[in-house]
Amino acid sequence: MRRTALSLVLAPAAVALALAAPARADVPETVAKVILPGYAGFARATQDLATTAATDCTPEALRAPWNAAFDAWLGVQHVHIGPAEEEGRALAIAFWPDPKNIGGRQTEAMLQGADPALVTPEGAAQLSVAARGLFGLERLLYGDASDTNPAYACALRRALAADLARMAQTIEAGWKDGFAETVLSAGTPGNTTYLSAAEARQALFTQLIAGLEFDADTRIGRPLGSFDHPRPERAEARASGRSLRDVALSLKALRAFAGALVQGIGPIPATEAAFDRAEALAAKLNDPVFAGVADPGKRLKVEILQQAIKATRESAEAEIGALLGVRSGFNSADGD
Amino acid sequence: MKRRAFLASLAAATAVPRLSWADAGSPAYLAAAQEPSGAHALYGLSATGERLFSQPMPARGHAATAHPTRPEAVAFARRPGTFALVIDCVTGATTARLTPPEGRQFNGHGAYSLDGAVLYTSEVVAEGSAGRIGIWDAARGYARLGEFASNGIGPHEIRRLPGSDDLVIANGGIETDPSDRTPLNLDRMRPNLSYLSPEGAVLEVVELPEMAQNSIRHLALKSDGLVAFAMQWQGDLAEPVPLLGLHRRGGAVVLADPKDSEMFAMKGYAGSVAFAPGGGEVAITSPRGGRIQAYSFEGTPLWSVARADVCGLGPCAEGGFVATDGQGAVMRVRAGVLEPLSAAPLAWDNHLVAL
Repeated sequence: MRRTALSLVLAPAAVALALAAPARADVPETVAKVILPGYAGFARATQDLATTAATDCTPEALRAPWNAAFDAWLGVQHVHIGPAEEEGRALAIAFWPDPKNIGGRQTEAMLQGADPALVTPEGAAQLSVAARGLFGLERLLYGDASDTNPAYACALRRALAADLARMAQTIEAGWKDGFAETVLSAGTPGNTTYLSAAEARQALFTQLIAGLEFDADTRIGRPLGSFDHPRPERAEARASGRSLRDVALSLKALRAFAGALVQGIGPIPATEAAFDRAEALAAKLNDPVFAGVADPGKRLKVEILQQAIKATRESAEAEIGALLGVRSGFNSADGD
Repeated sequence: MKRRAFLASLAAATAVPRLSWADAGSPAYLAAAQEPSGAHALYGLSATGERLFSQPMPARGHAATAHPTRPEAVAFARRPGTFALVIDCVTGATTARLTPPEGRQFNGHGAYSLDGAVLYTSEVVAEGSAGRIGIWDAARGYARLGEFASNGIGPHEIRRLPGSDDLVIANGGIETDPSDRTPLNLDRMRPNLSYLSPEGAVLEVVELPEMAQNSIRHLALKSDGLVAFAMQWQGDLAEPVPLLGLHRRGGAVVLADPKDSEMFAMKGYAGSVAFAPGGGEVAITSPRGGRIQAYSFEGTPLWSVARADVCGLGPCAEGGFVATDGQGAVMRVRAGVLEPLSAAPLAWDNHLVAL
């Protein structure tokens, strides 16, 4: 039976939860108030982008809805479980980092080849993950890549926007029609994904910690490079000027996620304070693409933001980990 | 406990010296684990994931190796290891404690000779991580007999080739700080896969110079001599690299590239490798990526499945694989489908050793 209404999905799990631990709201809270609305927002934003592209595929028309779609993605980008991880969807939505410029070279090859079969939604879905999604579109909306073949670039934008909207819709439907229940029914007979309620909490906790690590180590760490070898050219979404915005929106999303995860369980004052500090530093950092990493006078501010996010991760790991009774993976943290 | 005491008294009363693995309940696998109290132990598991026996260990374990005939296993400490315990899997007694010689450290793995008379251990010289293979007299109380070079830096897993006394060693190439695991040479590492005679002569060496930062660490062997090696990428994690290679003495290396959609799923890290019985499937696990990926012997990706903190992997006699994770689950995995076999309040450690 195909379920379409959220309430139908949540009902059986809510019953199971009430039987198991009535005071806890952590996992259902996170699914219902953060993850599902996040994917719904991303599906809407990408549909807006695709709808606009269908009538006007110029960069001028598409930049605003593309940015709105990227903003929406940051609300759920850290959720690496379920439908986003299937068939490489998350990778196709946001193929970054890409140190070998695989995506850029494929975009260039497509513009040279101008194969009409690729600029259909079906054709775009068959493209390499590196060529698609938000970053595939960014290359065609900013910079001069499109100059090779402006007419084909326009058609490619339309096809990639439709492909992105389709993936977003598939992920949202996948959560609503099955994976939300998989998470919420953790530990019940027949659930082979999460063998206990603790495993589902562990999985969500891991998304939070990994999300904070990605912001600190990848979004900021890659452009930071080392003091002797800063790498400003490695900043995320540099062409569109979104590097710092991505960090700020990710922190906002992770904070909401953390709050939902401990809802009804206990306060997290150290984590809240750490988020306060990191978000404040991001808000007042006047360096949208982390260009300052190459300037000894400005680099320190980027490093301080990175340290604040690392401190947030440490607080969250200790405080939320203790509240939920979970910890980082026994083997994943061992490394041998 | 009752059963063990009974068997122990039976063994003493009848004075039959030759106990077999059947007397230990015929375990199918050995695996180290951390218990809820934080204590560590080595467990024997049945083919269906039931826990048959456990023996305490003084610190975190890593892998184990089983004697070919006697119901006796050697459990190795986590790297840098200061001990290995020889455990009688029937009585539960620790019959010998192996301590590396001064200035040497165990690296978590070992292998017996074909007749079980000799135990080989993967070791490093603490200063500089030069690889050594320790030789121990398994016939007479595990006295140290000597050592020879492993032909590389930082050897990790060592296995014996089927039906032979030749050894194959994964020299991971990473020099580590003697007091912890801090890597010291990631910019100049040279891992290799070395085949050595039981006297330590180098028979064949495989290197992957185009990906020198891919540390060759774990091994699985097929009965016909096909070797699968699992790697851990020490370079930029944003660069997709294969983590599984296949090699046969005298042949060319086959590297197994994941499909596009899975190219970063393992997070540059493979923790265990195993062959499925028959079939033609070989799989690797990644606790960091929470993923099991299976490939054909030609290196073609076949399927993958998600499971948090999964690492231990062995063949399942009925087909496919058995996997363990840090959340206490033992699972059968076939064609990308997980089937839980048992759950326990344990954190299964890196390796599931098939007997």
